[in-house]
Amino acid sequence: MTQADTTLNFVSGDDSSTTPLTIAGQANRVGTGLINPGQKLKFTFNGKQMSGFAGDTLASALLANGQLLVGRSFKYHRPRGILTAGSEEPNALVELRSGAAQEPNTRATVTELFNGLEAKSQNHRGSLNFDLMAATDFASPFLTAGFYYKTFMWPKAFWEKLYEPIIRKAAGLGSLSMKEDPDSYDKGFLHCDLLIIGAGPSGLVAALAAARSGARVILADEDFLPGGRLNAEALEVGGQAGSQWAANAVAELSSMDNVRLMTRTTVYGAYDHGVYGALERCTDHLANSNGKPRQVLWRIYSKRAVLAAGSTERPIAFGNNDRPGIMLAGAVRTYLNRFGVVPGQQMAVFTNNDDGWQTALDLQKAGVELMAVIDSRDVDAPISLPGVRHLRGEGIVNTIGRKGVKAIETTNGVTLPVDAVAVSGGWNPNVHLTCHQRGRPVWREDINAFVPGGVMPVGMTVAGAANGAMTLAAAVAEGQAVADAQLSDLGFKPVAADIPEASDEPSKGAAFWYVKESRTRAWLDQQNDVTVKDVKQSYQEGFRSVEHLKRYTTLGMATDQGKTANIPALAIMSDLTGRPIQDTGTTIFRPPYTPVPIGAFGGRSRGKDFRPTRLTPSHKWAESQGASFVNVGNWLRAEWYTKPGEKGWRDSVDREALATRSSVGICDVTTLGKIDIKGKDAGAFLDKVYSNTFSTLKVGKVRYGLMLREDGICYDDGTTARMDENHYVMTTTTANAVLVYRNLEFARQCLWPGLDVHVISTTDGWAQFAVAGPNARNLLRKVVDEDFDLSNEAFPFMACGKVTVFGGTPARLFRISFSGELAYEIAVPARFGNSMIEGLMKAGEEFDAIPYGTEALGVMRIEKGHCTANELTGQTTAHNIGLGRMVSRKKECIGNVLSQREEMIRDDDVKLVGLRPVDRSLGLIAGSHFITKGDKVNMTNDQGWMTSVAWSPNLGHSIGLGFVKSGDTRMGEILRAVSPVHGKEMDVEIVSAHFVDPEGERLRG
Amino acid sequence: MLRLSQPISWIQKGSGFVVEFTLVSAPPLAGYSERFGTVTLSAPKDLAVVNMAIPLGADAKALKAVKSGYGVDMPDPGTSVETKKGAARLVRLAPDQAFVVFTLPTPDAEEVVAKHVKTALYLTDQTDVWAGLEISGAGSIAALERVCPIDLHPAGFAVGDAARTVMEHLGVLIIRTGEDRYLLLSASSSAGSFLHMLETSIKNVL
Repeated sequence: MTQADTTLNFVSGDDSSTTPLTIAGQANRVGTGLINPGQKLKFTFNGKQMSGFAGDTLASALLANGQLLVGRSFKYHRPRGILTAGSEEPNALVELRSGAAQEPNTRATVTELFNGLEAKSQNHRGSLNFDLMAATDFASPFLTAGFYYKTFMWPKAFWEKLYEPIIRKAAGLGSLSMKEDPDSYDKGFLHCDLLIIGAGPSGLVAALAAARSGARVILADEDFLPGGRLNAEALEVGGQAGSQWAANAVAELSSMDNVRLMTRTTVYGAYDHGVYGALERCTDHLANSNGKPRQVLWRIYSKRAVLAAGSTERPIAFGNNDRPGIMLAGAVRTYLNRFGVVPGQQMAVFTNNDDGWQTALDLQKAGVELMAVIDSRDVDAPISLPGVRHLRGEGIVNTIGRKGVKAIETTNGVTLPVDAVAVSGGWNPNVHLTCHQRGRPVWREDINAFVPGGVMPVGMTVAGAANGAMTLAAAVAEGQAVADAQLSDLGFKPVAADIPEASDEPSKGAAFWYVKESRTRAWLDQQNDVTVKDVKQSYQEGFRSVEHLKRYTTLGMATDQGKTANIPALAIMSDLTGRPIQDTGTTIFRPPYTPVPIGAFGGRSRGKDFRPTRLTPSHKWAESQGASFVNVGNWLRAEWYTKPGEKGWRDSVDREALATRSSVGICDVTTLGKIDIKGKDAGAFLDKVYSNTFSTLKVGKVRYGLMLREDGICYDDGTTARMDENHYVMTTTTANAVLVYRNLEFARQCLWPGLDVHVISTTDGWAQFAVAGPNARNLLRKVVDEDFDLSNEAFPFMACGKVTVFGGTPARLFRISFSGELAYEIAVPARFGNSMIEGLMKAGEEFDAIPYGTEALGVMRIEKGHCTANELTGQTTAHNIGLGRMVSRKKECIGNVLSQREEMIRDDDVKLVGLRPVDRSLGLIAGSHFITKGDKVNMTNDQGWMTSVAWSPNLGHSIGLGFVKSGDTRMGEILRAVSPVHGKEMDVEIVSAHFVDPEGERLRG
Repeated sequence: MLRLSQPISWIQKGSGFVVEFTLVSAPPLAGYSERFGTVTLSAPKDLAVVNMAIPLGADAKALKAVKSGYGVDMPDPGTSVETKKGAARLVRLAPDQAFVVFTLPTPDAEEVVAKHVKTALYLTDQTDVWAGLEISGAGSIAALERVCPIDLHPAGFAVGDAARTVMEHLGVLIIRTGEDRYLLLSASSSAGSFLHMLETSIKNVL
């Protein structure tokens, strides 16, 4: 805790006021409170040099320097000052720092001062003192709630182009740097038995109780100095100054291994199952984050939670109540007791409750001239203030002074000169987090406030002011009781401890919301410029539900979420409608409690760190060969290899496809999913998950398999090899590798737990290469060790086996073909992958072997009429792709029953066909729809669509695959292929989907 | 770099042999080791992983084979144990599944495990599927907190405990191998992202 040096006097609860403190430039600094006067800090506001001390907030330092005017309001550009001393601040929003690090809409009241801090006021054209846009204030009679909705209706086209840009420019808050955020952010996960939200009196008592019992405790507080109101008050706990008691409690908690004390941490949301979101501001209080994350977004898993979030004071609405110098009474007390700062020298207090008197008392002790305490209630003074004028049953109707309050007028016509006013309209328990699971707070007449009620987040209880225990003694006692109950519930034995004795201050109040006699505008929501008049207008125009009130007037929709505004506004609506406040209700409280930067939600997932990158085993080699890479899910795959002299990707792709078909090409196909399936019932299991049969497959053979969803739609295909009696190796598409694996696990564990079968992914374990082309066998003959017979007789099409390569390295060899050529896929342990392609290429030199990428692979599969995701869209059936006969009806398998629904086996349904342009010089367009010649182009006449197109270097023209209604019976027909998106159409001919080697002679050769 | 395969003559032209070629093993994180203040991050050398699956209804036989082959009882799901024979760690991932993690430079891990447990369990080599990183030293937990959803407090995750989880979109198997020592396994294809994730976490907290 900070200690004042001997030359400075304390302003605290004692009565020993001495001569005022004088610090150059800090005219309003009257004491040291809890700041460290030994550490002076320099900062600038709108370029002007100012000074403060360690322990100050920007707001307290601005006040100390006499800077009461700190910003302009959202709509009317009214001069505004500092209203509060906490995160509820609606007015004192500033831009911090400069350049790329500039951050708008930062609350000065929670900005910890550091040396070199740069702050600027925002939302003004011209200087803060002379804002050209202040003219809008004079037009205010036209700018009330609903103005935009009614006014900017006509002409319609003007809204987007003219009105909205102008309004956006005129109304608003800070500006963005438009540069990339130079800071980094992180996220994390924390776990605890008991999460305590708020380190005020009840939170600290609860934390001590929990920590001493041995529970794992997280105590989080948004402030940089734990203690809550104990740091802001002259009240005592346990016979010592509240702030000292808090410091001692914090010291004890900090020394315990089972406690994680998180200051500068806002728990902003209560989520399911005791999970809380919290934002820790790690380096915002430093001039430089030194490469560390500026903020960390924590996900806290708690077994139980105690919400000790305290309460927020609300203002009273009266004429021109938004002038700089008019502040909440509790905030005035905080600035005085914690920071040694007063906003003025000649003040008045306006209150509807006893607590305002406490501010008056503290101000008087600090030597501030008190012009009056104006109490809306006709009651005796709850605190004796000799020599201070007490105006009973009165209110403030108006204030004078544009850039700062100069005088106030009361309902009885008294005018008092003042330079600051402290206003207290009572306190609202901070129930926000109790409502994040749709709990509805309950109105308590005795304290004129909503308290937690209804459905609470699982495991949460509430203590202290947040629960309506409004006095210090009550809060302390409740903190202990609530913690003890939670601990017992968790099986911890609470350690018997005396509840520290605490002051029990007067706390009666009245339900008094606004001064009806006011003739001028009385502000409710200062950030969004919503006045009492707006609420009345909302009522008159029929927007009477609080949710309508909110949206019609924008009440509570600013960055402060109406923390000070909502309750007075709904109370006024309640007055107008005659419905009780409980029935009027609040709007829904949603996370976040205070703003969370988008950067923090993003965490470190920026740029390419947005997701993991998967590299194929031959990636390094491919890079060295000039490969261009394409994202395939998280994978990076070579799409083509550019050779010198090639002018565009088509040159490379054409060359690769031609070279493969004429001699031999090699492609890394590791990305296709591989799943090893073992067990005595592996075959029976495959029969159930594939539409066709695998139990009859002979060892050493591969079969193409088609998988259906339960609804009979195709979702994946691939080949499965039987390596052994009880061992199959399944391949899946790249995209569905994880999905298929997951579905197999589900089928194994949940659908057929009686089968002896185990599945495990081996996708990353094997570097797999397709070796395709007439010289594929000749090449592999040089790679596979000599004792394996690769002849067509010994190792025919669809054979598979375990082999060794390059002198003993284990490998798997499959004779399968996606390209339609004589082709193999050979797999070696992934660690050898990069070396393997080098070996394959070296072995292929004499055959002019080339590597080919995914584009050439795509060209060749279209030439062969093979399906990929373009055809298996999740809407197509085996019947559509011409594989209807692969769906066995003799066995139980996923999807076969529903695949036979009448609508799914219609003869006139779309069928997969090949297409070529009648004018061979034209390029087909994927996505084109087919229209019968002579028909109009509309959806009624739609005959199907083009799924895949490619330039076939082997045929010398564009080719395509597509679905055409009854396509299998329309061979040779000419259709119109229309692409309205491109504004193009052409005639196409329906042909077989097998453009190359339709009889399959090559792949069997 | 390991040279595992024997060089062979792999093309016979006429009566002569032409060109020698040897496959080179290059696991993605091989040789990585960095110290960041109190925390060390390194890729264990020659880490071998073999999956053991217990055949349906043959639990007793399988557990007996493990006990006799490795000299220890099969650990409970979510825990691991160092073997008395065979210098390995058994990591039980599920009632019917466990990994054997050990050190082996050659690509025959499945055969090595088969020598211990014979045919009592279904074995699948997982060595090249995974990339391993070991994080150790004071501050390891603080670094892992940034990415690991698992509660690593000793009360919830004692030495020997193992869990499969997701960190930064990567599936990760985390095993507590010592008071301040964790072995993490993740997919080998995304080893670069895996390493980046842990390096970033360590740098962010130290």
